[in-house]
Amino acid sequence: MIFNNIGYYSLVFGLFISIYLLFFSFFLYIKGKSNNDLNLNIYHFSLIQLFLVILSFICLILCFILSDFSNETVYYNSHTTKPIFYKIAGAWGNHEGSLLLWLLVLTLFIFLFIIKSKSQPKKYRLLSIFFQQIIITGFFLFLLITSNPFDYLFPTPKEGLGLNPILQDPALVIHPPILYLGYVGSSIIFSSSLAALIENNLGTIWAKHIKNWVFVSWIFLTLGILLGSIWAYYELGWGGFWFWDPVENVSLMPWFSLTALLHTILVLEKRQLLKLWTIVLSISTFSLSMSGTFLVRSGILNSVHTFASDPERGVFILIFLFLLIFLAIFIFFFFSKNIEQVKGRNFYWLSKDFSILINNWFMMYFLSVVLIGTVYPIFLEVITSDKISIGPPFYNKLLIPFLIPFLIIMSFGPKLKWIKDRFEMLKLYKILFFFISLIISIFIYEKLGKNNLLISILILAGIYLFLISLIDFFKSKNNLSQNISHFGFSLLILSIILNSFFSSEFSSNMKIGDQIEFENKIIKFSKIESKKGSNYNSIVANFTIEDKNKRVTNFFPEIRIYNQPNIMTSEADIKTSIFYDKFFVVNLLKNETYFNVRYQVKSFMVWIWISTLLIALGGFIGLVKKIR
Amino acid sequence: MKLIKFFLLLLIVFLLSSTKIFSDENKILVDKISKNLRCLICQGQSVYDSQSEFAISMKLLIKEKLDKGNTEKEIYNFLKNQYGDWIVYDPKFDKKTMLLWGFPLILFIFGGILIFRKVFIY
Repeated sequence: MIFNNIGYYSLVFGLFISIYLLFFSFFLYIKGKSNNDLNLNIYHFSLIQLFLVILSFICLILCFILSDFSNETVYYNSHTTKPIFYKIAGAWGNHEGSLLLWLLVLTLFIFLFIIKSKSQPKKYRLLSIFFQQIIITGFFLFLLITSNPFDYLFPTPKEGLGLNPILQDPALVIHPPILYLGYVGSSIIFSSSLAALIENNLGTIWAKHIKNWVFVSWIFLTLGILLGSIWAYYELGWGGFWFWDPVENVSLMPWFSLTALLHTILVLEKRQLLKLWTIVLSISTFSLSMSGTFLVRSGILNSVHTFASDPERGVFILIFLFLLIFLAIFIFFFFSKNIEQVKGRNFYWLSKDFSILINNWFMMYFLSVVLIGTVYPIFLEVITSDKISIGPPFYNKLLIPFLIPFLIIMSFGPKLKWIKDRFEMLKLYKILFFFISLIISIFIYEKLGKNNLLISILILAGIYLFLISLIDFFKSKNNLSQNISHFGFSLLILSIILNSFFSSEFSSNMKIGDQIEFENKIIKFSKIESKKGSNYNSIVANFTIEDKNKRVTNFFPEIRIYNQPNIMTSEADIKTSIFYDKFFVVNLLKNETYFNVRYQVKSFMVWIWISTLLIALGGFIGLVKKIR
Repeated sequence: MKLIKFFLLLLIVFLLSSTKIFSDENKILVDKISKNLRCLICQGQSVYDSQSEFAISMKLLIKEKLDKGNTEKEIYNFLKNQYGDWIVYDPKFDKKTMLLWGFPLILFIFGGILIFRKVFIY
């Protein structure tokens, strides 16, 4: 009760401070004194604002820990029997709480930005703060008007409704915060690039300064997507890790845009070119992050994530988003005239700058494929009321042919010199690697059958990049960060392909005592046991799989029946090894004597995770190198 | 270099050893078709991935149709007539989806022209 009030009023005061900072920073900007120190009030008030939001967030967590059901959010999303870990995590496992988390990250980042941008011109900093406070004010209003996490419920219920069991999971506890760090980081890039555009400050110094923020958001966005994917893999019970589900796409789109920005900013830093394109990418990354939130929260999308949706809130975000984009476009057209454009032929076709242009070209293409695949069905339904589904076949057809040249260019682009490189004879090892890749891909082509020519060529390109970046890793250590990320990317593509082609699956209905043969193995359903968790009862099925060498593996997949809300979930038993995962899951059938049994051997599964981690690790190394 | 060779060897050995047994042609086709179908009562799952009653009966239906000698294409067409285009994940190219297929490609060509102009003409 008391925490409820503290939390609520912290937010209200936070809003006031936000409005104050909004006007104050603008006022200081207009007044424009040239001394290079920021008014101390800005530091202090930002710190207080951050403190208030943290306080409010802690209050919400306390409400959850204490199971204070007079708080509506707690009532809808918690239950007294829930483990303490998930009570805490439940604070952001719902719409209101997750938005409060957004706000927390927003205020944290603006404070860090103020501290970290001391070397930058004062007017630019004031303007960045101004834009960032517009976003923050918008989020405060959104939170307080449409999704107050501290709504009061009377009479106080004795028991809550509980958290959706599929969200009671360690990966899902950290997935939203990590992803939000990525999304919100893009808001700093957005505000700062608009400010830099107005101040005509787009040069090497600015690029160096904003690059850190680009790296931070990019790392977190990558990790956030990875965590979501891992969660889908083991929790949703069908052994897939990516389904081109709209909500997955929505996190991938800003990633493409941000990855393009990550490369473009290097050109800006080294050569002071592509100034306006940098701004366009900053705006698009942030808009895509925001519309991602909009699409997920509005319930327009048909997806596994629609547990948290409400159309009215969607309208608010949509209007807010339009205002921000409109503002950005207006500023862009009004001030872009001031930016000096270097005339003439600035790019030589054999140079690092040019290969970065190519990277941007492909990134924009990938982005457009995912974008249209995600929104097209929505628009088509609104306009013609025809419903179509867009799934993996569509993306495979449009992405795979383009990935081939992309991977090839990735393998030599980074090694070219800036501005202009000379064409050298191909080194022997490159030719050798090409032939090794060719032989392996021909071998795989033979194995896959005649319908998979394109995939085999993709494998060729993937292996080539893999070998080249591996040898670079040992040969030169001057660009470790780029090297590791590109290596990770080639490994990711290869793992995904091998995973989809060399996985096998067994699925059948079995009852206790049954024994079935599958690929020289015997699957035996020996018994079931019941187990009790703190907020669920579970049935643990015992299976043994005996292979032809008489080696026996035990599997204990579970079916959990949560008491509040009353939902059944399947917990897969996954045995991970270097080359394959064994994935075992059972489902209860209606007549209850039979269980639906699903056993999958998924090749190279763990490499999909490792390679994505490598991609992020590359970014991390780059960031640390820059800060040091 | 040694490391590379070792890894390659490992990869090849693995690929050789992981032979998939194609015991039943139809079963593979059922899997392939059901991966391209949306489970209509689920949230964003394919028929292949889902264990709902709808999905299970759908898989049986596909199997029956295949046993009767229907081709893959006939089955898709049959299902589209029954449930509408919504059920297949692979939208066909027609008037309605022209923009869907065309937009990324047009954008790619447009981007290519921009880059070409920037690099070679001026």
